[in-house]
Amino acid sequence: MWTMAFKLKSRMTWIQVLIVVIFCLVAVFLTAHDDSLYTEPIFQVTKVTNGKVTKMSDEFHNVDYYHQQLLSGHITNGKYAGKHLKIQNAYSNSGAMDHQYRTNQKLFIVLHTSPKLHATVKDLKRDTPIIFLLALAVSLLFIILKFRGVTVISSIVINTILFWLAVKIDHHNNGAAVIPIFSILAVIFCIITLFLVMGWNRKMLVTLSAVISATAITILLTLLVFGVTHEKGMYYESMQYVTQLPKPLFLAEVLIGVLGAVMDEATDIVASLATLKQERPELSKLQVFNSGRQIGKSIMGPLINVLFFIFMAETLPMTLLYLKNGNTWKYSFSMNMSLGMTSSLISGIGIVLTVILSSLFAGLLIKGDER
Amino acid sequence: MGSLTALGALLLILMIIVGGKQGISSFLSMVINFGILFFSIVLIAFHLPPIVVTIVASVILLSITIFWSSASDNASTTAFQASVMILIILIVIIIPIEYWARVGGFGLEDSEELEGLSMYVGISFTKLAISTAILSSLGAIAEASIAIASGLDEITIQHPKISSSQLFLDGIVIGKQIIGTAVNTLFFGFFGSSMGLFIWFYGLNYSFGDIINDKVFAAELIAIIISLIGVVLTIPGTTLMMSHRLKKIQDKEKSESGK
Repeated sequence: MWTMAFKLKSRMTWIQVLIVVIFCLVAVFLTAHDDSLYTEPIFQVTKVTNGKVTKMSDEFHNVDYYHQQLLSGHITNGKYAGKHLKIQNAYSNSGAMDHQYRTNQKLFIVLHTSPKLHATVKDLKRDTPIIFLLALAVSLLFIILKFRGVTVISSIVINTILFWLAVKIDHHNNGAAVIPIFSILAVIFCIITLFLVMGWNRKMLVTLSAVISATAITILLTLLVFGVTHEKGMYYESMQYVTQLPKPLFLAEVLIGVLGAVMDEATDIVASLATLKQERPELSKLQVFNSGRQIGKSIMGPLINVLFFIFMAETLPMTLLYLKNGNTWKYSFSMNMSLGMTSSLISGIGIVLTVILSSLFAGLLIKGDER
Repeated sequence: MGSLTALGALLLILMIIVGGKQGISSFLSMVINFGILFFSIVLIAFHLPPIVVTIVASVILLSITIFWSSASDNASTTAFQASVMILIILIVIIIPIEYWARVGGFGLEDSEELEGLSMYVGISFTKLAISTAILSSLGAIAEASIAIASGLDEITIQHPKISSSQLFLDGIVIGKQIIGTAVNTLFFGFFGSSMGLFIWFYGLNYSFGDIINDKVFAAELIAIIISLIGVVLTIPGTTLMMSHRLKKIQDKEKSESGK
C-alpha cells in the first residue's frame, strides 16, 4: 500500500512538472506573438552584419570596445507590418546604455519617414522573459504551497493594485501629501495582509496593533534623529527617479519597505506566544513578554539582513560606475549607498521595536483560552 | 554626528536591549556584510570577473548571516547547506534569464544621474545585473532556511525517533506557514525600494506595455522574482537536507547499537 501511495505521489509530481512546463511554454508563446497589442513598431531581427570595431579609452584609463552592427529584418506590427528594413546599431562591451542585438530578437524601434523610411532602435522587447519568469514563480508557488498559494498570490495582487492606486492619488496631489497617503495605505496593507494570513480574530488584532505602533514609532524616531543631527550626511539629491520632494518620498519608501518584514515578525511572535499561553495558561504577563523577546532576538538579525540585501544590492552598478569614474570610495558610497544603508538601519529599528511591542501586546492582551 | 551614525547607534542600543550579546552579533553581522559587499564592488572595479566574485562573496555572506544567527549548530549547518544549494539553483536560473532579458546597465530614467559620467568602463553590465540579482536574494534565502531548519531541529529534538520521510512532511507544513509571510517581506521591500520608479511611471503616463518592457523595472522585477523563487525552493531544499542529515545520524546510531 505504501509503495502504491508513493507511486501515486511520484506520478503526481511528473504531472505537475508537465503542467509547469506547458504553462511556461504557453506564456512564452503568447508573449512572443503579442506584437499587435503594441502601438510602437516592433522589428524582428533576421540577420546581423558586424561592422568595424573601435578601441576607446577615457580620461580614467578605462578601455572599452565600440562595435558597429547592421541589423536586417522586418516590421511585425502596425501600418508598416511586413516591411523590410536595415537598421544601424552600435554597442560597447560594457553595454551600460547600449546593447548588442542578435538574430531572432524583437526590438522596439522609432520610425522616421522623411526623407525615406528608416528607423532607429529604441529598446529590446522584454515581455517574454519577464512573463516566463513570472509563470515559473507562480507555478512553483502553487506546487509547493498548494492552496495556500492562492492566498499568497491574491495578497500580492490586491496589494499591488492598492499600491498603484496610492501612487495615482499621490500623483494627483502633486506629491504634497505623500506621507499621509502612504501611511493610510500602510494601515490598509496591514489589515488585508494580516487578515489573509491569520483570519479575523483577537490574535490578528494584537498583531495589527503591534505592527502599526512599531512602524509609527520608527518613523517618529527617525524624524527625531533627523532633527537632532540636522540630516547631516543625508544625500537626498542622490535619490533615484525622483519627481517630487525627496525627503517625504524617502520616508514613505522606508515605511512601505519595512512593513512586510515587521508583519512577518509580529505574526511569528504573536502566533508562538498565543500557543505558549494556551499550553501553559499559568504564565504571567512578564514571562510571556520575555518568551516573546527570546523568539524575537533570534529572528531579528536574519530579517534585517533580508531588507539590507534588497536595499543595498541594487546600488551596485551605479557605485561601480562612480568608482570607475575616478571617484573616491567615500564619495561613491555617499552618493549611491548611503541612502540604502539609511533605509536598512531605519528598517532595523522598526524590526527591533516590533519584537518589543508584539511581545508586550501579546503579554497584555492574549488570554489562555485564545486559539 | 551624521544621521547615518546616529541611526546606527540607535539600532545598536535597541538590539542590545532586546537581544543582549545576540543583539551585538546581529548588528555586527550587518556591518560585516556591508564590508564584504563594498569590498566585492571594489574587486569588480579592479576587473576581477563579476560573477565569480559574487559567488564567492555570496557564500561568505550566507555563512555570516546564518552562523551568526542564534540558531542551533544542527539547524545552522543544515540551513547553510540548503541555502548554498538554493544559491546554485538560482544562479542557473538567473544567468540565462539576464542574457535573455538584457536588463543590465541603465535605462532612460537614469539619464539625469549619468550626466558627466563615462559609461564605457569595460565591465559588462549584464554580468553586474546577474550579481545584483544574486546578492539581493541572499537575505531572503538565509532567513527562510534558518526559520525552516530551526523548526525542524525543534521537532528532531522532541521526537528523536521520527522517520526521515515524516520529517519531510512536517518540513513542508512548517515551510508553508513561514513562506506566506516571507513573501510579504520581499514584496513590500520591493514596493518600498521602487516607489519612486512607480510614481515616475504614473506621472509620465507609461502604458502597461511600456512598464513591463522597461529596463529598470524589468531589472527590479527579475531580482524580486528570483528571490521569491529562492524562498519557495528553500522549503523542499532545507527539508531535504534536514531529513538526509537525520537519516545519516539514525543509520550511524543503528550500526553502532548493532555492534
